[in-house]
Amino acid sequence: MIDLIAAEWLKLRTTRLLVGMIPAAVAISVAAVAGTILGHDNGEPLESSEGVRRALSVTGTGAILVLVLGILISAGEYRHGTAADTFLTTPRRHRVLIAKLAIGAGVGLAAGAVISVACLGIAGVVYDVEGATFPFDDVDVWLTLAGTLTYTTLFGMLGVGFGSLVRNQVLAVAGSLAWFAVVEHTLVNLAPAIGRWLPAAAGQAIVRTPLDGLLSPPAATVLLAGYGAAIALAGIRVAATRDA
Amino acid sequence: MIDVRALTKTYGDRLAVSELSFTAPAGKVTGFLGPNGAGKTTTFRCLLGLAEPTRGATLIDGLPYRELASPRRHVGAVLESTGFHPARTGRNHLRVIARASRIDAARIDPLLELAGLTAAADRRVGGYSLGMRQRLGLAAALLGDPAVIVLDEPANGLDPEGVTWVRRLLRIWADEGRTVVVSSHLLAEVAQVVDRVVIIRGGRLVAEIDIADLTPSRVTVRVDRTDLMLSALSAAGADHELLADGAISIAGQDTAEIGGLAAQAGVTVTELSRVSAGATLEAMFLAVTAGPGR
Repeated sequence: MIDLIAAEWLKLRTTRLLVGMIPAAVAISVAAVAGTILGHDNGEPLESSEGVRRALSVTGTGAILVLVLGILISAGEYRHGTAADTFLTTPRRHRVLIAKLAIGAGVGLAAGAVISVACLGIAGVVYDVEGATFPFDDVDVWLTLAGTLTYTTLFGMLGVGFGSLVRNQVLAVAGSLAWFAVVEHTLVNLAPAIGRWLPAAAGQAIVRTPLDGLLSPPAATVLLAGYGAAIALAGIRVAATRDA
Repeated sequence: MIDVRALTKTYGDRLAVSELSFTAPAGKVTGFLGPNGAGKTTTFRCLLGLAEPTRGATLIDGLPYRELASPRRHVGAVLESTGFHPARTGRNHLRVIARASRIDAARIDPLLELAGLTAAADRRVGGYSLGMRQRLGLAAALLGDPAVIVLDEPANGLDPEGVTWVRRLLRIWADEGRTVVVSSHLLAEVAQVVDRVVIIRGGRLVAEIDIADLTPSRVTVRVDRTDLMLSALSAAGADHELLADGAISIAGQDTAEIGGLAAQAGVTVTELSRVSAGATLEAMFLAVTAGPGR
């Protein structure tokens, strides 16, 4: 298994995916944090717990690109016709998927760490610009960033699972973006009671977004991990049973 | 050794391969021939565990591909459908396979050299020609030093020099005792090198022949005095027959011997020709592959 994970890592870093996607994920998170701080509601002090959570919870914005990266890791094999070659090397295909899930999780975690550091930096600078002091010693800061790591890790795995389930790269990327940008928002508005059980809302809860009605961060982590596991299992089943 | 047993593969209502059985023994080059759409690639995909047979079985040294302990070390395959990531270099393509299969990376450079890709090894595959991709595919197939080699239309995209190169490799591999199966829709591409041919059409087996078992070369002769020539052949104990058009067909003799017999009998030869096993095979391939496919 270690060899397979090493091979998947080699695959990923011998394309341009990482250098394209990770900086983009960092950039949109940093922009979101800076924008949120600059556009903050004057009724809520920046240094308050609420203010910090509001500013840092959007560090999770980049997770959507980590999800896309995960999709490209798995569905990209079908897009470029390399799946057959991969399965010639490893005919027990579930092993390939497990290795890819490990890479999705690892890359997600690493992306989350880079995003967190970059966002902390930008938050410090923009707080300064706004005439406030960023409370680095506030426990909410670290809990929120721990949430960001969880969020990007799970989204990396979710992307790998979803990509292997759908197999069509364009459809999987467009479908997932449509889900998070449109479908889930609509469902949340139509039926708020079920909205909090959906994956994006779970993600928001994990990064401790100060919104009413969200699950607790641990419950949301379990829920999102459950979605990830269900989709990954379905993806493994598709990969293992369908002709490549 | 490859053993295909009553393989049937359907895609929806379409029957791609039907009750196909054949073997490809070790130490021989087996040509897997048939027109485009005959089911060759489907058969290979089932053989290599990429597609699930609807019925029947495909075995490599007695085991289905998916049960081989170390598939890349056992079987090297180049399929037409196999793709490459355009952003990955040729060398990195081989490194990925070596890493996943625990193959010593030291094999990569010599194989790149064998494939004539040393200079292009660190260029992205997206910039490779079709022929270079075929060569890279071959290098990848050989990475695990496999005992069984399966090539799907390897001549596609190769220049004449490349085709000759592949033919020479096929012979070398078979002589080293490997099982070599090579598909083609053109007999001429492989006729010079195959020891055995399996011909399919419409997903069904049409012929499975060892070249050595083909009718040995026959000599055809026309003379001015057929009666004298027939007597001379009978007296010499030659296996011969008089054809409807007046020519005489003789087995197991070469043209020089027949010319000599004719001279002794005092007849004048007006035509003397030899039909090789290759030509016999070609006539047979054309007969079974000509006309509508299904």
